[in-house]
Amino acid sequence: MEKSNFYKFSVKLRWPAVCRNRSVEILKERPDIVEQMNYFREKIANILKIICRKPHQIDPSHAMSGVRLWFSSGQDVYDFIIRQPEFDWEIVPEISVINEITGEMQNYDVVYTPSGITID
Amino acid sequence: MPTKNTYISVVGALPISFDLHESMNIGPVVASSNSNKSLSFPYATVNSEQNLQDMLNSSNFKHTKLLCPEELFKKYLFFDGVTCLPDFPGLKTLELDANRCSPQILSLLLSVYFNPKIIFLLGYDISNPEELSRTKRIAISHPHIKFMYICNPPRTYQLDDLENGFCDSYIKYQEFIDGKK
Repeated sequence: MEKSNFYKFSVKLRWPAVCRNRSVEILKERPDIVEQMNYFREKIANILKIICRKPHQIDPSHAMSGVRLWFSSGQDVYDFIIRQPEFDWEIVPEISVINEITGEMQNYDVVYTPSGITID
Repeated sequence: MPTKNTYISVVGALPISFDLHESMNIGPVVASSNSNKSLSFPYATVNSEQNLQDMLNSSNFKHTKLLCPEELFKKYLFFDGVTCLPDFPGLKTLELDANRCSPQILSLLLSVYFNPKIIFLLGYDISNPEELSRTKRIAISHPHIKFMYICNPPRTYQLDDLENGFCDSYIKYQEFIDGKK
């Protein structure tokens, strides 16, 4: 039987500037933006394959600000966050963690420091 | 999220000469920091950074959920085995601080959070009057849970004033486990 994955960590990656805050109506009229968004999703999938060692997932639901990504490993999400500049991406500086005991989602701010990142 | 467990065993800071694998037959075992490394525990509580680092580097705790207060959790959020302790209701009323209390008190708080029928206290140190008082306060605030203090003879009478506090020997504890197998 296939083992189900538990995606404990989640971050949101902002769309490229031209794709942000676009309503569904606008997207219907602008197939070029939709194409860019699809290309962006493909690119994310490829990069995740390179960075992540444990299972991960791109949230299929649409959000105006960006794409939600799910990670099962904390080390993978850390790598993904610190390697943003390499891919010229921008992550919403917030990380969500599902508490395995309570089942609740806890949100923390990601603070960038000269030596790396800290959680507040 | 853990399923409902009827019995939980809390392993305190004192050394134990009992096969803790046996305890796993009746329910989860919660370890208190790194004081006992005899078993791969399902859960272990910790509120000191030094101990947490030691546990993260120890192969015994590789498959253990290391539960720590939020303050410490934030520093180790990206470590896969580290989980944030839940917000224990009534902590202020109990005059307890999750960041400063002993790991065995944290284990006890976690166990009562799971709301079992009986909590077995193994290798649990109640020689310190403050620790005993904290344990009693937790027991009094959870009257529906039985707190079974397990020790070698002679038995202690320190929990006898509690309506839900009992004391028994490791032999009786083993017999209880055998009966549930």
